[in-house]
Amino acid sequence: MRMSRISPQLALTPALAVTLVAFAGSILWTIYMSFTNSRRFPSYAIDRESWSRQYSRLFDDGAWSTSLKNLIVLGVGSALAIVFGFVLAAMIDRERRGQGFFRTVFLYPLAVSLIVTGLAWRWMMNPGLGIENFLHEIGFPHASFNWLAEPDTAMYGIILASIWQSTGFYMALMLAGLKSINPEIWSAARLDGVGVFKFYIEIVVPMMRYTFLTCAILLSLGVVKAYDIVVAMTNGGPGQSTWTPAYFAINAYSIRSNIGFASAAATIMLLITLVVFLPLVLATAWRLRARERA
Amino acid sequence: MTAQVLSASLPRARPRERRKRRIRGSSIAVLAFLSMCALFMALPLYVIVVTSFKTMPQIAEGEIFSLPRPWTVEPWDKAWNALCTGLECNGIKSGFVNSLKILAPSLVLSLGLSSVTGYALALWNVRWAGTFLFVLFMCAFVPFQIIMIPLILIVSGIGVYGTYWAVAVVHMILSMPLLTLIFRNFYKDIPAELMAAAMMDSGSFWRIFVEIILPMSGNILIVVLILMITSVWNDYLIGLTFAGFSAQPMTVILANSLITSRGEVIYNVDMAAALLTAIPPLVVYFGLGKFFVHGITAGAIKG
Repeated sequence: MRMSRISPQLALTPALAVTLVAFAGSILWTIYMSFTNSRRFPSYAIDRESWSRQYSRLFDDGAWSTSLKNLIVLGVGSALAIVFGFVLAAMIDRERRGQGFFRTVFLYPLAVSLIVTGLAWRWMMNPGLGIENFLHEIGFPHASFNWLAEPDTAMYGIILASIWQSTGFYMALMLAGLKSINPEIWSAARLDGVGVFKFYIEIVVPMMRYTFLTCAILLSLGVVKAYDIVVAMTNGGPGQSTWTPAYFAINAYSIRSNIGFASAAATIMLLITLVVFLPLVLATAWRLRARERA
Repeated sequence: MTAQVLSASLPRARPRERRKRRIRGSSIAVLAFLSMCALFMALPLYVIVVTSFKTMPQIAEGEIFSLPRPWTVEPWDKAWNALCTGLECNGIKSGFVNSLKILAPSLVLSLGLSSVTGYALALWNVRWAGTFLFVLFMCAFVPFQIIMIPLILIVSGIGVYGTYWAVAVVHMILSMPLLTLIFRNFYKDIPAELMAAAMMDSGSFWRIFVEIILPMSGNILIVVLILMITSVWNDYLIGLTFAGFSAQPMTVILANSLITSRGEVIYNVDMAAALLTAIPPLVVYFGLGKFFVHGITAGAIKG
């Protein structure tokens, strides 16, 4: 029996090592480097007189404030995907014909790289050859769909592609949530003569508040990580108008070759993630306590 | 935890019975709306497919939704054999091979590590299991950028930067928290009596895993396998930052060609190259969609 106590611990060593080195250690390492003057290569002397130099440079940088602004714009805009996901899930769940077909079509964007689908979206937003041209030909001569070329509208193009990509995902989560609702509630509501819209808004949505919360947090975390979609749609342009923090951090490392600066940006990303993550931990604890009391 | 909440919500038989009824007006409206949405969702894929079969003169006419006339496979040939990235025109086929060489070790490493870890945490009495699970749950949310530079420094320090193994190991590291949680949630439902009997029988950690647990894990292995195949194949950022120049996966070569190309854009070849990149995960998706849905809902915390 002695063996049986040692083997599991031994089997957990690799996972433990990965967690300690690649996660905990690397996070601390990055935070430490954000206080140094590391450039192309790391240097480990903390500048005592101006230890927060990288951070003040970061917040003086115009591209960083654009990134933070875009983070909020993207988050608010992409939130529509949750709304659409819920509407589609409710419809598919109610009208059960073709459920498998619709689910397959709505979810496929998630199985394809954004580098691929981003190309399709850029192509459709091409002013001369894309949808704009198509709209002109079918009789809307003033229609404009050249969003990606203008700094003011380029983010909307990214939001559109992001909604297109993630709606199916939220739909799948919502479908799972809808299936766990007790079917007797449907019959009870029908007996009481509650209308369909009222039923969904006043009864189903409150019952699914945890699913909505999960979706909202996953969406926020996804937005903080948004990198592929920016590269695929605009590569940050026009100018720096579609930079996000994730794009900024990679750019600071690979183009500006400044490890200290990139580490400061990454550290702020981690802080943003923590702020988003905290409600999830609290909600989970709250939910567990509610379940224990029941 | 979210992972549990989400994995508890897998497809289940619904008690509400299905009555035969005639199609009502509201049903028609709902189906019409859903069909419109399906058309919108399918639009980008349709556009990529038709454009990849068109000739350049037809593309210049600007009818984005029209069918190819005549159909041509030349763009596909060019994309596979002669796609240009920067100054070289070697096609996307080297990327395909690189992606496969990254995929194989990634799958072996991540499934091996996370299934054993999940098994040990779920079925063996490890005192710090609860704490460790919580830490893993946190790690699953960590943005890649915060650990990227140290990982690059470590990988370069060992001298494997720019190899398939470097990319595969980073995939293993990043997927470990989530996959371990998925495996652990699956194994914790194995009945205690079964484990007790197995302990009486052999008592060996590894023998129980190989002889009893693995044969029971078919479903979860397929789910995790599909999750990993699609996420490794579609990955761009890890390939970009760890593959150097010699081990670039298909997505990186594709992005280099699409984004850095100067001068005249050859749209049909670009579309064919994009489609070639998307075909493997699409085949997996349309072939094994049920498991894919299961995987992304169980792995929802990956975002």
